[in-house]
This record gives sequence, C-alpha cells and structure tokens, in this order.
Amino acid sequence: MSWYRSKVERDLARWQSAGWVSEDGASAIRAEIAARKPVLSAAGVLAVLGAVLFGFAVVSFVAANWDEMSKLARLLLLMGALWGCYAGAGWLFVRGLPAFAHAAVLAGVAVFGASIMLVAQMYHMDGSSPAAVLLWALGALLAAGLVRSTPALAAAFVLLAVWSGWERGLSGTAHGVFLLPWATAAAVAAWLRWRPGLHLAALSLAAWIVPLGYLIRDRHGHWLVAAVGIAAALVAVAAAPQIDRHIRASRPVFAYAVAVAFAGLFIMQFLDDLVDPRTVELTLGRFIALAAVTLALLVAAMFWALHTDNRGALWIAYIAFAVEIFAIYVRMLGTLLNTSLFFLVAALIVSALAWAAYRLHQHQMAVASGARGAAA
Amino acid sequence: MTTVRSTWLALAAVALAQTAVLADMVIDRVRLVATGREIVLAIIPVDPRDLLKGDYVRLSFEISRLPTGLLGGAPPPKADAPFYVTLEKKPDGSWSAVKITQRFPQDAGGDRVAVKGRLQLGSWSDSYVWPRYGIESYFVPQGHGLQLEALARDKKLAVLVAVDKAGEAAIKGLIVDGKLQYEEPLF
Repeated sequence: MSWYRSKVERDLARWQSAGWVSEDGASAIRAEIAARKPVLSAAGVLAVLGAVLFGFAVVSFVAANWDEMSKLARLLLLMGALWGCYAGAGWLFVRGLPAFAHAAVLAGVAVFGASIMLVAQMYHMDGSSPAAVLLWALGALLAAGLVRSTPALAAAFVLLAVWSGWERGLSGTAHGVFLLPWATAAAVAAWLRWRPGLHLAALSLAAWIVPLGYLIRDRHGHWLVAAVGIAAALVAVAAAPQIDRHIRASRPVFAYAVAVAFAGLFIMQFLDDLVDPRTVELTLGRFIALAAVTLALLVAAMFWALHTDNRGALWIAYIAFAVEIFAIYVRMLGTLLNTSLFFLVAALIVSALAWAAYRLHQHQMAVASGARGAAA
Repeated sequence: MTTVRSTWLALAAVALAQTAVLADMVIDRVRLVATGREIVLAIIPVDPRDLLKGDYVRLSFEISRLPTGLLGGAPPPKADAPFYVTLEKKPDGSWSAVKITQRFPQDAGGDRVAVKGRLQLGSWSDSYVWPRYGIESYFVPQGHGLQLEALARDKKLAVLVAVDKAGEAAIKGLIVDGKLQYEEPLF
C-alpha cells in the first residue's frame, strides 16, 4: 500500500467517525484511489535495473577486448544486440507491456554507448572521449523523443552533464554549448509531461551554473551565479501564475533558484579567496555585507516558501541557513567574535524567525477561520 | 493500429540513426587509416587501464613535449583548441617537429606532414607545451598490457601512424625493432 493510500485511510477513519464523510463517500474515495495507476511498479523498476545491468554486461564485454573475434564480428555482435533491444521493445509495446518495453529501449541506449566505445577502442582513438559521451547522449535523447522513453531521457541528462563536466575539465572554459542539447532535453521532458525529467533538467542546469563562477571573469564570476539564482527566484515569484498556467513548475523553480543563489553567495563568502588569495580581497566589511545579504535572502525564501506551501524550497532554505551559520561560525572562530557572542547572535536571529513564523501561522489561521465564518 | 505502426517506425528510426552514427565513425577511421600518409613515431609506453575501454597502453612520443620556441613567438594555443604541428622527415627516417601553427600550414607535403594537436588545460609552461594528437592510447586484449610493457623495455618500439590531409592522425600498427609487428586490420 502506498504512503498516500495509508494516509488517506487513516484520515478517512477519522473523518467518518466525526460524521463529515458518509459510508458511501468513503468507499467511493477508496475505490478511486485503488483504481489509480501506481507511479512506480516493482516490475517496472526491476526491469529498468535489469536493463542497466545488461548495459554494464555489454560495456565490460567491450572492455575485455576479446581478441578471438575479428573487429567486424565484434561490431556485428553489438549491432545485433542494438537492433535486438529495439525490436524487443517494439514487441513488448505491442504486447502491452510498456514498462518492460521502456527498459528494453534503455538497454538499446546502453548498447549504443558501448558500441561507440568499442569503435574508439578498435581504432585506438583517444582524446575524443567527451565527444563520444556527447554522441551517446544525443542517441539517448533521440530515443527519448521518438519513443517517448523517460528512462532514455534520464540517461540523456546524466550523459549531457558528464560531457559538459569533462569538456570543462579539459578546456577550462564556460562551455556554453551545453545549453543547446540541454534545452532540447528539457523541452522533451516538458513535452512528455514527465515531472522527474523536469527535476533532472533543473538539477543538471544548476550543476552547470554553480561551477560557472570558477570558469568566467578570471575565476571570480560567483556574483553572476548568485545574481542568476536571485533573478530566477524573483521570476518564479512574480510570474508564478503565468508559469503554472503552462506547467506547474513555479515552486520547484523557486527552490532550485534559491539553491543556486545560495551556492554562489556561499562561494563568494567562504571559498572564493581560497582559490587565489592574491586576486580577491575579502575585507571584513564585504564579508559581513555578503553574509547579511545571504541570511536576508534565506529568511525571505523561508517566508515565501511557507506562504506558498513550498516544502522543497523550505527545506533548502532551512539547510542553507544552517550551513551558512555554521560556516560563519567556523570563519569567525578565534578571530572576531568569541564563541558565546556568536551563539547569542545566532540564537537571536533564530528566535526572531520562530516568532515571525508563529505570527504568520496565527495570521493564516485567522484568515482561514474568517473564511470559514463567511462561508457559514 | 496506427500507434503500433508509429511505435515500430520510431524504434526503427532510433536504431537506424544510431547505426548510422556508428557506421560513420568506423568509415571515417577506415578511410583515415587506409588513405592517410604514413609516418613513424618512436614511443615510450606506460600502462594504465581505462575503466570503460579496458586495457590500454598509454603512449608518449618525442613530439608529446615540444619547446615553445616552435611557436615562433606566437602565444600558446588555448586549451582544447586545435593547432597544427609540422613534422619533418629526417635522413634516418624519423620524424621531428619543426613548427607549431594555429592554421594548417601551407608547406605540408613532401618531407613535411602536419598533425592536428590539442592542449589540455595546464599542459603548457614557459618553455614547453605537451600536445595530444589522439594517438596516445593503444588498446590491447585484456592481460596483454604487461607483455607490451616488457617488450618496450627490451626493444625499440614505434607506432605506424596514418595522417590525413586535415592533419587527423590514427594508429595503424606497432613497429618492434624497426619491423612492423602488428598491423591493425581495418575491420
């Protein structure tokens, strides 16, 4: 039984005994929930795991570089596996087993990647590995778009992130080209209306933006990262109805934007001057200003998250707040404030927050009871 | 019925496209190895292992470290940006670098061959650059890496490299004590 079902079951029992829900109503609700298709089925999950294991088997077959077989025979074997996977997927779709069919598509994508590696190995190709990963990612993206395969789309996001990280490691540049295939993959996720895919899109974009500060503006572009995060958060707040009209994404966008903004601000405060202390002078005034901006931003994010019932953003803001306070503490230790003064300041801030949250809650309760009174 | 057909069509399109990509990779390499100009480069192998691709010997050449003087006063190329190293054939049959240029050199041909190289981040200093040409990995069957390493200790190893008109390089075979030992089959 799913978490949601057991929760509704408990609530229904309570509501029924209170007389708010009739016997018929309760059984209708139960029937509706029971008829819903589960998001994740054990069979589907296991099938995808099986596909991943199959992929590893093929890759290690390639890695073993079996010299008993000619190049052509090895290549034909992998081509056979590739076509076999997609043919198997088609057969499973026709049989009405989409979960297994999608696992077969994922296996096909894995075989495609293994084949790229095999060709590279057969001809002693070197130095083009990020390009090979990009090729693999595009193959996965094609499968995702044409066959509407969500596992292939997930693979594409992961591979694109690996490709970009690798290219950045080799070239030390921002690698803006990443945005092109990323946007395509994000569009596919939106078109398939696959929410985990949108989360993957946001995650991979955030993972691309945050290190950007080290790659632009002579390795000190972190303010730009923070600015992008803050701007995205403001857009998510200001244009929430417009965004949600197309796809309900304003709340997760806000959460990711807060995380990106915090990452940029955190690097500016605590890591930027570690890279090359000579090029950045982090004066005390600047540090305090940055810390104040960060804490203000996080408190504002918490309030907005509470106001909009945005659990993800609330958790991110809470965790970021704790990390920020701890980092300030470590930085200030033995230099400026003594320990007890620090804890006093932190305690005052948190108590003020708790008080503000309590007032907000009371205000909401008052509004809710007022509305109920008006309805009655 | 149309959905069944479109599913099959989509799957076939994916399989075809992916096969085409792989075929293109193979054909490109075969063309390069078959038609490229042959040069011989002496090697110094070391033996790491690629997690995904299996055992391979990491090859290092004389031209893997070049004095910055070959740039002719130009700044070193940007990381990951292609440039060209002009090699000249010496009377003893070996090839050595004579200049580094950003563009493909006009005087390639005859006793001169231009090879495309790239610099990784941080692989240059005031006096040297350490280019890579895409011919630094020699894949061997599992467990044969040490054998090759032993060979390299006792004998003089060199690789036969094919270079095409655009400066792209590919390993064509392995030369032990001046004799072509393994010639890579095209297929």
